[in-house]
Amino acid sequence: MAAPMRRVARPRPWALRAFATVSSPASDPQVANTLKTENTKTSKSGKNRKQIPNPRTTKMTVGQDWMSVYPSSAPFKPSAVPLPIRMGYPVEKGVPMAKEGNLELLKIPNFLHLTPVAIKNHCAALKDFCTDWPSALDSDEKCEKHFPIEIETANYVSAGPSLYNPKSRVVTLKVKLSKLNLDDHAKKKFIKLVGERYCKNTDLLTITTDRCPLQRQNYDYAMYLLTVLYHESWKTEEWEKKMTEADMEEYIWENSRSEKNVLKTLLQIKASEKTSAVTKEELLGSEEVENYKKSVVALKNAGDTENNLSQYKEAVKKLLNLI
Amino acid sequence: MKSDDWRWPEAIKSPGIFSLNHPKNITAKRDGFLLHTHMKWVQFSCLHMDVRTDIDKPKISISDEPDTLYKHLSVLVKGHDRAVLDSYEYFAVLAAKELGISIKKVHEPPRKIERLTLLKSVHIFKKHRVQYEMRTYYRCLELQHLTGSTADVYLEYIQRNLPEGVAMEVTKTRLEQLPEHIKEPLWEMVGKEEKASKA
Repeated sequence: MAAPMRRVARPRPWALRAFATVSSPASDPQVANTLKTENTKTSKSGKNRKQIPNPRTTKMTVGQDWMSVYPSSAPFKPSAVPLPIRMGYPVEKGVPMAKEGNLELLKIPNFLHLTPVAIKNHCAALKDFCTDWPSALDSDEKCEKHFPIEIETANYVSAGPSLYNPKSRVVTLKVKLSKLNLDDHAKKKFIKLVGERYCKNTDLLTITTDRCPLQRQNYDYAMYLLTVLYHESWKTEEWEKKMTEADMEEYIWENSRSEKNVLKTLLQIKASEKTSAVTKEELLGSEEVENYKKSVVALKNAGDTENNLSQYKEAVKKLLNLI
Repeated sequence: MKSDDWRWPEAIKSPGIFSLNHPKNITAKRDGFLLHTHMKWVQFSCLHMDVRTDIDKPKISISDEPDTLYKHLSVLVKGHDRAVLDSYEYFAVLAAKELGISIKKVHEPPRKIERLTLLKSVHIFKKHRVQYEMRTYYRCLELQHLTGSTADVYLEYIQRNLPEGVAMEVTKTRLEQLPEHIKEPLWEMVGKEEKASKA
């Protein structure tokens, strides 16, 4: 029951100072005895004795609420931490220094306000502000299918003369070309426009922007680049029709010199053998010519490997009826 | 998306209960005792126990705009002391688990030591030098599949409790859909419009 000494039942709390009586250990047995009457810690003995209270550690129970002792980040207080910690390099034949007045314990950052219980309580309060990850997007492939673009940004936290880190401007945009709506010519033009930023093995386009002062501006610029590249690659300019064989990145057999040579040779052979006139389409459709075409295309695109060369040899032998 | 200023939740925009002059917060001192002015009369078993019963809980607001999705979040902390980073890693991992964030990997990149050799004396004595070194230890925590609100909450919590002398670098990989203007090439539409205008 509330102390009977309080005459007024809390009219206005700040006025208590004037009206309420002081509850001292002598008058009210519920108040703890904080003052030490027998002082071992007096600054001076005699008339000028200072009443220093007992350290808080003496009043702590085992099941106390530690969050009220260290609710937030605070320096190490030896009177409030009930652990017998010693820190420091010991003198010869000595032990490390005790916690009272120990500067080493003050210098290092302490995590006394972040005990597991405290962390759990904080997270329980913060959990209301969190949202769940959509359960339909559990694998990488699904993420790519629905969200083909990935944007990478960086943020930096540090103490120093300035809060701003210039590296936080950089924005990297990654997208797979197969997700974009491009036809054959558009894709080739796109790859030519983009140059080194495209990786053939992973089919990944990486655009890194750095030129604007803000991260937001760099992101807008990256999206603008992607849009422009896309639309430009669909356009066919006049001068693109003058593309020569040297410009093409992969070898196409139709209308090439190799095809013309083969046809000329075969026609000459047939003419010299004086068999019935065979048309070009029949020659092109025959199996030997198909094989020859495949081997030549493989050689030109993939390069000179043993496999490719042997295939070419076989194809030529069959074509010219050599053994 | 949840309200992203949970530092100042809407219910407590005015100082109100947190101001110094609010009647609930004034504790009178007299002869070395602290008189508690809270609503509840608490037993004086421990003088410093505060019981705030009627604090207003910050209100959560939900808006219509879609939440951003982070495929991967990488938190790299750098410090001079490995023990501090150990404790911080324990804190960050426990916080992530409590908030339900999936942790992909926690690893320690190798430390970097920068050494310099300076002259010991102010003037002459070239043969006598003194060497200093600056050690930077790293710890990397990789998380995946976070929403924007969860990431904001987690990062704010982590960063508020960052110890002195520790720096952090956060790399976010955000997922986005293809923008509308990339779905179809523009030239078809322009061609059709021209034909329509001519016709």
